[in-house]
Order: sequence, then structure tokens, then C-alpha cells
Amino acid sequence: MENKTLLVDNQMSELRRLADFLDDLGEEWELNPGLVFSLNLVLEEALTNIILYGFQDTDKHSIEMEFSRTQIDQLVVSVIDDGHPYDPTQKEDPDLSLPAEERPVGGLGIFLIKKIMDKVEYHRNNNKNFLILTKNIKS
Amino acid sequence: MNVKITTLPDYTLLIIEGRVDTTNAAGLEKTMMEAIDGGCTRIVLDCTGLNYISSSGLRVFLVIQKKMISIKGHFNLCNLQPGIKEIFDISGFSSIFSLFADKEAAIIG
Repeated sequence: MENKTLLVDNQMSELRRLADFLDDLGEEWELNPGLVFSLNLVLEEALTNIILYGFQDTDKHSIEMEFSRTQIDQLVVSVIDDGHPYDPTQKEDPDLSLPAEERPVGGLGIFLIKKIMDKVEYHRNNNKNFLILTKNIKS
Repeated sequence: MNVKITTLPDYTLLIIEGRVDTTNAAGLEKTMMEAIDGGCTRIVLDCTGLNYISSSGLRVFLVIQKKMISIKGHFNLCNLQPGIKEIFDISGFSSIFSLFADKEAAIIG
């Protein structure tokens, strides 16, 4: 089992640092570029939600992303924040059958997380949100 | 992200390169809306160099598509990288956008 942790502030500019971190992680763990793309997308969606909607105050908050690769070829990312309780797994999926004119603008982020990852779990512990994202990387 | 706009007699060619994410999606929307407000009714968006998109970028594409439909224009995308095409498929965007394999097809289509 290998572990890596990235701590970011609740600021959009941190997305740049996330992308750089994932590029480095991809090289170090020899992840294929498609997986790095997927991880970047999923974590951008999770972080953006937390940064935009997670906090009622204007204080600086730290959001932790813990990456681990298990021996059964799973990549697990835990996203941990101290914002107000929010379980994204409960969000309703968008209606993909609607024509462009009727498709609502936005609301795709959490759906993409659910579709791209193999498992998405949520729990609340010690006043923190834990979003556990698992991707099978068996090649 | 880089967007290059070329106005041609029959269409406007937009070449997009790099990443479209939450930090720059608003800028892309502004650039494209200005082109539409400037009178272009036929957009060809060449995505050859587009190597990352998140839901913020998809949102902009949908806003532009809605706008083009409302003015009875055309918004044709071409050369999507496989990773981008996969995101379009997952989002149901492949059926609400006109996607073409290459620029020539997108110009005619």
C-alpha cells in the first residue's frame, strides 16, 4: 500500500496545484494518462463543490485529499473537509434524454464523479465530511 | 487554455487548446458569446488541442449550444480527443451536440 496526501485551501486557484500534483503522482505511480485525466476531473468536481458550497463563513479552510493504492489494484482517494454536512451520493442524477434546449445548465459534476469512479461512499465523522472515491486500475 | 478565433466568409473557426476548468470557463464563455454577438451564426470548434474539460467547461458548451439553437445557428465540434469524447458520452452531450471526426466534415456539416 502506497500513500500520498495533498492539502489545499478552499480557493479555486488551488485547482492548478491539484493538476500539478496529479501529473507528478501519475508519473510516480505509473498511472495511465486517461486515469490521471479522470482523477483530475473527479477531484476538481468534488473540490469545486466544497469550495463553493461547503462553508458558511469566509475563513480559510483546509481540504485534505489522501491517495492510496492498494495491493488489489485499487486507487482510493479520500476527500476530507470540515464544511457543513453534505452527502453528494444522495444527489439525483440529471435527465440525459432531454434535448439541448431543455437540459439544465450545470449540475453535472457529482454525476460525473459517480459515473467515472467505481465506488463512491460518504460518511460524516468528527464534524468532517469524508468522500471516499475508489477506482479499479487493474490493467 | 488558448482560444484562437478566425472569422471566415462562411463560418467562424475557433481553435481551443489546453485545459478548460473551473478557473477559466467563464473566460471561454465570454469569448464565445462575443463572437456570437458579433454576428457569427456558424461556429466550427476544433478541439484537437483540448486535453482536459470539467463540468464547468461542459456547462459553457451547453450555454453556447442553447444560444446557437435559439438563433438558428450551427455549432459544430470536431477532433475531440478520446478522453473528452468519453466525458461527452457520459454526460449525454454526444447526442445533443454536432460532433465531427475532422474539420472538413464540421465545415460542411
